[in-house]
Amino acid sequence: MGVTSGSEPLLFAPATLPVISGGTVPPSGLEAPAPMRFVLNWGRRYSLWVFNFGLACCAIEFIASSMSQHDFIRLGVIPFAHGPRQADLMVVSGTVTDKMAPAVRRLYEQMPEPKYVISFGACSNCGGPYWDSYSVTKGVDQIIPVDVYVPGCPPRPEALLHGILKLQDKIAGERLPLRASEKSVRPSAAVFQRPFVSPPPQVPQHGAVRHRVHGLDQPIRLEVPAVEPPTESA
Amino acid sequence: MTPEEVAARLVAVLGDDVTSEVAYGTATVDVPAPRWVEAVQAAIADEQVSATYFDWLSAVDELDEGFSVLVHLWSLTLHHHVLIRTRIPRDTAVLPTLTGVFRGASWHERETHEMFGIGFEGHAGLVPLLLPEGFEGHPLRKEFVLASRVAKPWPGAKEPGESDDGSPSRRRMLPPGVPEPGTWGPEASR
Repeated sequence: MGVTSGSEPLLFAPATLPVISGGTVPPSGLEAPAPMRFVLNWGRRYSLWVFNFGLACCAIEFIASSMSQHDFIRLGVIPFAHGPRQADLMVVSGTVTDKMAPAVRRLYEQMPEPKYVISFGACSNCGGPYWDSYSVTKGVDQIIPVDVYVPGCPPRPEALLHGILKLQDKIAGERLPLRASEKSVRPSAAVFQRPFVSPPPQVPQHGAVRHRVHGLDQPIRLEVPAVEPPTESA
Repeated sequence: MTPEEVAARLVAVLGDDVTSEVAYGTATVDVPAPRWVEAVQAAIADEQVSATYFDWLSAVDELDEGFSVLVHLWSLTLHHHVLIRTRIPRDTAVLPTLTGVFRGASWHERETHEMFGIGFEGHAGLVPLLLPEGFEGHPLRKEFVLASRVAKPWPGAKEPGESDDGSPSRRRMLPPGVPEPGTWGPEASR
């Protein structure tokens, strides 16, 4: 894809340029010149810091493709970002449940733009074998925009490599103002948020056999012995 | 001890209104619901059974016969296990809590409460554990209708010879778990 005028490429694209297949340039000064855009996209597509949202068995395949056998760092996908705030790419690999969905959405919102999502496996694509479940979200694209879907249950690591190449092709032809205008219609994360979980109420102390088990529903208190101050006489 | 010996011992300890069965190498002891906590305490305290390790607690929907509630106990010292089971009616599905015996039973009772709608008297807080907030219904009860099955045709063929186009002579079958229209949901109350 290139911005052309006649046969010569334009170095500086005017803001009102009405070209490029299948879209119009948004009326803003954000559009970078074509060579600059090429360089930016080239940089983005080969340094995708990836953030693994591993939720089920697909995460095993995802991890396998990050290891030496398949080694997706040779494609420029860098494992792993320290958190969503350092990540460019989120790979949702596994079953997204309705309970987990707000967390997926919240972590996606924390990622800086430009950000990309690969939905890896049948469960995150559409619910997969849990299509009739009472608790499974029928596709992660119901809560966040997805760039590439990788089919399979679970997909082979090669399928993820193919998906990454597809994503890189997509990034190569990307124009950020268009991307931003696509995103702006989505609802904010506040729609999906809920308050933090409060600790459970105290269970009263129990009878003779209580010492036999240790309930995990109660916070474990660490008994820190009081430290005596050092004495001068020593 | 063998499963048979464990079952016989617990029946001997608990008395006449308790029955037992052994299947697939597992001793199952059926106790009446009022003696639920007592039976678990006896399985812990009896020296020959000594099933002190709480493994899990859950329930089974037995339709018209109510719910079976089961607790699985394991003896760490004697290396045998036992299931203690009780039956509660469907309309008054309440049992005394086991959190006084095993505090770890709290999570299991919360899960059983939200999945089956069974109450546990004396539990400190039966708030939902796994289901998202605002979830309506008890999904592991057999009358719980899976909305996806109603809204979406069953993928693939249910019967041999059945295909997507569907022969007109065949009666259209409902997916498993979906009752006849008009017998459930908002239409039933009309």
